[in-house]
Amino acid sequence: MVRRILSISANTFRETIRNKILYAILAFALFVIGMTFFLADLSVGDFARIIADVGLASIHVFGVIMAIFLGITLISNEVDRKTIYVILSKPVRRSEFILGKTLGLSFTLAITTLAMAAVLFLVHLGYQFGGRAEPGIFIASAGIYMELVLLTCLASLFSAFTTPVLSAIFTISLFLLGHLTNYLHAVGEQSKVAAVRWGSKALYFLLPNLENFNWKNEVAYGGLRSASVLGWAAGYLAFYAVCVLCLSCLLFARKDFK
Amino acid sequence: MTNRRRILVIEGLTKSFPAGFWRKPVRVLSDLSCDVYENEVVGFLGPNGAGKTTTIKILNRLAFADAGKATLFGEDVRDGKELRGRIGFMPEQPYFYEYLTAVEFLRLCGQLCGMARGETDSRSAKLLSRVGLEDARSMAIRKYSKGMMQRLGLAQALLHDPELVILDEPMSGLDPMGRMEVRNLIRELKTAGKTVFFSSHIISDVEVLCDRVIMLHKGEKVAEGRVEELIGSQILYIELVVSPVLAPGRLAEAGIPPGVGETQGDLLVLRAPGTREANGWMAGLLSAGCSIHSCLPVKKNLEEIFLERVGEGGVEGKSN
Ligand SMILES: Nc1ncnc2c1ncn2[C@@H]1O[C@H](COP(=O)(O)OP(=O)(O)OP(=O)(O)O)[C@@H](O)[C@H]1O
Ligand SMILES: [Mg+2]
Repeated sequence: MVRRILSISANTFRETIRNKILYAILAFALFVIGMTFFLADLSVGDFARIIADVGLASIHVFGVIMAIFLGITLISNEVDRKTIYVILSKPVRRSEFILGKTLGLSFTLAITTLAMAAVLFLVHLGYQFGGRAEPGIFIASAGIYMELVLLTCLASLFSAFTTPVLSAIFTISLFLLGHLTNYLHAVGEQSKVAAVRWGSKALYFLLPNLENFNWKNEVAYGGLRSASVLGWAAGYLAFYAVCVLCLSCLLFARKDFK
Repeated sequence: MTNRRRILVIEGLTKSFPAGFWRKPVRVLSDLSCDVYENEVVGFLGPNGAGKTTTIKILNRLAFADAGKATLFGEDVRDGKELRGRIGFMPEQPYFYEYLTAVEFLRLCGQLCGMARGETDSRSAKLLSRVGLEDARSMAIRKYSKGMMQRLGLAQALLHDPELVILDEPMSGLDPMGRMEVRNLIRELKTAGKTVFFSSHIISDVEVLCDRVIMLHKGEKVAEGRVEELIGSQILYIELVVSPVLAPGRLAEAGIPPGVGETQGDLLVLRAPGTREANGWMAGLLSAGCSIHSCLPVKKNLEEIFLERVGEGGVEGKSN
């Protein structure tokens, strides 16, 4: 089983890294991150911090773009192009297919995130006024990566059932809501109507809480997150991803292909 | 026949597809039952939209039936992942990962079938040259033509040396040479003891290749049986080709009724309804100074049977 999942994920990895549009996005992202080097010159304040802030924000935005761009067609492309027919006629379970596809894309995103983080680290290091080695960049990028994995799981769930456009709308909505859940929860709690309070509580637990993976602010102050925070985030990711993947597998198990 | 193992058994298979929110679902297969025995080549015939591809999808768990049961090697098609290793499948108008080459794609298939790398490579080299793709083995599949895709489809279906091969329209999109190669391939599979189940629109191919045929029309089986049985031993007429062309008066003298012949160039083609008539006519023609070039009994062919059954749209009751 593991071997088959790995074969499918290796193939998905190959599919994504042979995608020219991904390279275009990555090149642009690296360009933008590189430009923060000059951006710091134009502004006042803590230069190194600006580099870290803007750079990490770029990694986040471009990472999400890549995850959504590749994720929304992850399964639907295979169904539309009928490439899935041959794969599923081999001794492969549908769940293995879903897991392999998701794992493969996660691996691609790991590489692109690492590339972006490495460039940012070098820019930060090379900055002439107060440049320094900032390992926090990698920690914050790891948080961004965890978020991307979660988005990939969601996008692959949607791509198994709907068109790419709808998957994009759903995934982007969940991405935006996922960063607002703490806020929505706080607002909901203020309500006098019990149903609204319950509803907001339910949403708070159902929606992915993407702020769990947001360690950008801390980095620039040099304070590294403690291991327990990282561990908690990883646990949250694992739990949420398993739930989403199980749902995908369950719904995909008896789907008719047209 | 009955003592041979039944490899594929379909019992009462029924399938509908939803046709939209308000409309009632479209029935695509109704109560289809048929079977395929070990080491048989079985053709699956039917006009467009008869439900052939749907049946084949159900066998490969790409679609699920509403009612009825299909078993392969005695196991339900819906479970038994292990079962898949014994089956090779080529979908209709196959399409593969365009960013891979044929060799890379077959390696992926080998991995999924649990084959060792060396075995995969040696078998894929053999199969690629067998289907005529050895020059294109390192070309991106993106650049393949339709027929090349079809050939790669055959190679991947046979890679893991399956006992049963299910092919959905293996001849479509192939040039005459390609069709002949596929015919030979299917014959080889039979010689090697494999079982082949394939759908086709090319009835002449089915007629020469298949031990048995199953005909489907509007989701119902309209005929099933051995090709010879379906064609029957009944002789439709005996065709005589003679020359020179005699005038109608002299034909009548030779004992030939009017309206049974037609002129084709210098030749006269006559259709005698039976052996007795044919013999009588030949005697008359010979004594009238004609020479007889050929005398052929003409039987129904599968195509006519197909058009007959499908044209009526009637469902044959229980056949074998
Ligand atoms: N996913 C689907 N949704 C709705 N209807 C479908 C679907 N798939 C097939 N059908 C219908 O089922 C019927 C049978 O289709 P199928 O593809 O099995 O025919 P076929 O015998 O393979 O035809 P062909 O010779 O053209 O390949 C058709 O009328 C088709 O419209
Ligand atoms: Mg078809």
